[in-house]
Amino acid sequence: MKLTNGNTAIVLGALKAGCRLFAGYPITPASSILEEISATKIKVMQMEDEIASINCAIGASLAGVKSMTATSGPGFSLMQEAIGYSNMIEVPLVIVDVQRVGPATGMPTKPSQGDIMQSRFGSHGDYCPLVFYPNSVEELYKYTIKAFNNAEIGEMPVVLLSDAFLANLYETVNLDDNIEIKKRKLKPLGKAARHITGLAHQRNSPKPQSPKEYRSFIDRIFKKTYVTAKENNDYEFSGKKNSDTLIVSYGCVSRFLSDLKNKYAFFRPIRIWPFLKKELGLIAKNYKKVVVVEMNNGQYRHEVERVIRKRLFFFRVLGGEIDIKKIEKNIEKLKCKTTSLYSN
Amino acid sequence: MQDYLTLLKLKKLPTTWCPGCGNGLVVKALAQAMHELKMNKHNTVIVSGIGCNGRSAGYFNLESIHTLHGRAIPVAEGIKTANPKLNVIVLSGDGDLLAIGGNHLLHASRRKTNITVICVNNRIYGMTGGQASPTTPLNAKTASTPFGNEFPEIDVQPVVLANNNLYARSTVYHFDHLKQVIKKALLDKEFSFVEVMSNCYQGYGKKAGYMHPYEIIMDFKKNYNMSRSHKKELKKNEIGFVKK
Repeated sequence: MKLTNGNTAIVLGALKAGCRLFAGYPITPASSILEEISATKIKVMQMEDEIASINCAIGASLAGVKSMTATSGPGFSLMQEAIGYSNMIEVPLVIVDVQRVGPATGMPTKPSQGDIMQSRFGSHGDYCPLVFYPNSVEELYKYTIKAFNNAEIGEMPVVLLSDAFLANLYETVNLDDNIEIKKRKLKPLGKAARHITGLAHQRNSPKPQSPKEYRSFIDRIFKKTYVTAKENNDYEFSGKKNSDTLIVSYGCVSRFLSDLKNKYAFFRPIRIWPFLKKELGLIAKNYKKVVVVEMNNGQYRHEVERVIRKRLFFFRVLGGEIDIKKIEKNIEKLKCKTTSLYSN
Repeated sequence: MQDYLTLLKLKKLPTTWCPGCGNGLVVKALAQAMHELKMNKHNTVIVSGIGCNGRSAGYFNLESIHTLHGRAIPVAEGIKTANPKLNVIVLSGDGDLLAIGGNHLLHASRRKTNITVICVNNRIYGMTGGQASPTTPLNAKTASTPFGNEFPEIDVQPVVLANNNLYARSTVYHFDHLKQVIKKALLDKEFSFVEVMSNCYQGYGKKAGYMHPYEIIMDFKKNYNMSRSHKKELKKNEIGFVKK
């Protein structure tokens, strides 16, 4: 057991998972990952910007070592092109995004959940990301290891979302030693004569003009992510028989609302992307009212709405500040109207 | 004599480049230099960016990485840091390394990562159709500067020399010299930078009034002199190498 904060838990997880290179650039609230990891045996490259950081991590991963990078919203935006690139060349990589209020410089020290859609659709072109968003320090530790393992299994980038609240939250962590660590399957550089390219390709040969081979490539990377994600259908659900209301929330907001678990049913996705369609669909059928609470102006709610196929109630939490009593009062007052409701 | 051909993927020939392009000469010079230094697929990696020259990595019978536009240097640094036993060569163009990737060049030079950067300078963005690049001369007419280029060209030599790294310049006309300076750079134990003056007839030469790619190459012969000193900075029309 160890008392530690969210960012340090990510560092401990990376150490446990066998990460050997970290490339990063200072940014609030992710800077302490860079600071903490510098004091460990992991090789740290402090680069000139986030673009260089993720590309450096991609290079290191190609050379055969497990690597990761950590940033916040503005840096995550800069990394998007390279995230698409790492999907294209299928290289294992872990990207940590400690979210803060945006857009632009926004409110650097306040938590937010504004990068939910960015983590899904951020890069140009079609790809299918695997994204986890834990809500406690211990989970951050476990899911860092899980992110590394899944990156190795699927040979793809895995995004771990956190936020400014979790980053600075101190909790005890059980440093469980029984987690299995996946070893590198991908051959390191210096073994063959592969041509690794961001152009559409088939078997290491660029095919920028062949629609058929591009389609088969896209099908393959989507299938790969779904197969990898299937082993990680991670969510938390607590049912309530005498309630007709289901609250859907994730990350730090789900912690603030944990008091409402005694009154209402509660669903918290941990694997944010690919969306837990089947799981949420089955659960939501049993509830008349579905309420989504998230720390943005409505990103995940649209995805939930699409899956449950009925209008839902939505409460936004903006500016990194939450008024639980107000939300509680509003949920009590809910009537089955077909319009969405905004509070705050 | 032809042994260096084992370093190239001959099946992929002919190349995608226009007739008369200088890129093929750089590939040949690099392959010969690597062969003479006993570099092979077990100890060498080529990293390239995007652009005409970005495609050259694919012709080497080595592990080659075709990265994003401008990001060849950080990827190369990641590879070198993760596995210092590998020789890492960055082969890319002027637009890729000096414009979009300029920041990375500045900082790789500061960090003195042991990589060799070969910048093939054809003074234009060739692949996108001949727009002005940071190395396009002042007043030159290009696809994006029909009334002449407003800005002077970038001089990359002081950037590399500021951190006491090896800087070399050669042209595609001076083939043996080019091979020698590439060898010099590959043997260097710190960051090294080779600027190869190359020709782009389709994108740049035509608008500049040349009638044939051959004329541009003969201009290199006429305009560039060999530098005898390795301690002083190279003048504008000198080829050679500097390591302070």
